[in-house]
Amino acid sequence: MRVLVLFAHPVETSFQAALHATVVERLRRAGHAVDDCDLYAEGFNPVLSREERLHYHDLGVNRRNVEPYVERVLGAEALVLVHPVWNFGLPAILKGFFDRVFLPGVSFRMENGKVKPSLHNITKLTAVVTYGGARWRALGVGDPPRKIVKRVLRAQIKPLAPVDYLAHYDMNRSTDATRAAFLEKVGAAMARF
Amino acid sequence: MRALVVFAHPVPESFGAALRDTVVETLAASGHEVRLVDLNAIGFDPVMDAEERRRYHDPGVNELPVADQIAHIKWCEMLVFVYPTWWFGLPAILKGWFDRVWVPHVTFLMPTESQGIRPNMQNIRRIAVVTTCGATWWLSKWVGEPGRRTLLRGIRPLCHPLCRTTYMAHYKMDSSTPESRARYLAKVRQKIARL
Repeated sequence: MRVLVLFAHPVETSFQAALHATVVERLRRAGHAVDDCDLYAEGFNPVLSREERLHYHDLGVNRRNVEPYVERVLGAEALVLVHPVWNFGLPAILKGFFDRVFLPGVSFRMENGKVKPSLHNITKLTAVVTYGGARWRALGVGDPPRKIVKRVLRAQIKPLAPVDYLAHYDMNRSTDATRAAFLEKVGAAMARF
Repeated sequence: MRALVVFAHPVPESFGAALRDTVVETLAASGHEVRLVDLNAIGFDPVMDAEERRRYHDPGVNELPVADQIAHIKWCEMLVFVYPTWWFGLPAILKGWFDRVWVPHVTFLMPTESQGIRPNMQNIRRIAVVTTCGATWWLSKWVGEPGRRTLLRGIRPLCHPLCRTTYMAHYKMDSSTPESRARYLAKVRQKIARL
């Protein structure tokens, strides 16, 4: 499959970078064509501009500032997100990717003021996520990033497409053993992707 | 009270800007001391870079890149957020304001083996949210309102233990009318006046 990997972490030596490397390597080894989109390395600007907001609903025009990203999203058959959870949400650089690239005419269309999802080229979605806080704390907050994947993105892609959410919670108190186990789990999931 | 209004919208002539003006005017008329942070207007960079991430846990050093914003949040007793809800969450520019400004040792103390994360923003006793949603109330509830929860359940526990919260939203913005928007402005004025 053509798999678009969206990665959002600034530090090359981070555990997230290790997860990212594992995801890309295991997917390629399994025979997938990986489009590796490292948002930090590509210097993605996550701020929707005035002009983009004004043309948000103008099909054809709305995508002109992010055309290469739109093509990559529409050219993919599967999507893998690799990112940390910061303040119980997505890092701004990834949140802004959805704000700017998941546009009308790309991931959905508007019909009588209602959103009709249309990103049906994506037939599989996996998120590889690390949380600073413990699982119970994320649950208490309502786990917003999990809901973004499991409810919002799931609704955009092909109906009934499999959605997998792999999370390491409590990173602040993680150990070499917990991190190694999570890397192994992520690697295995990519190997059978 | 000392009120900090944090505003995010890229279009100066938007309904969001009208909400911002209503909030600021109403707070001032009620006798609050108001500061406004207009994130798009000041060109706030929401992307935490590698150097900042590496120094994220270093007391003092982690404050330097955003010292002006940290001064604002330490100054205020009330936080009012005015923003459009995009993809059920905060616009990236506002999300990044939390990522970069709400750093450890300033806003919270890191967890230890025996103790969880501890709050450090007891100066904030009131949080209000004024937003607009493209989605319906039902859909927002079903998705779990990620934006609302990031603020009122993620950020609120870092504030004063008795910190009270207020949340207002105009749903179905894409089919809003001049009347529905005027009603919402009036509701915002009324609720903000009572803070």
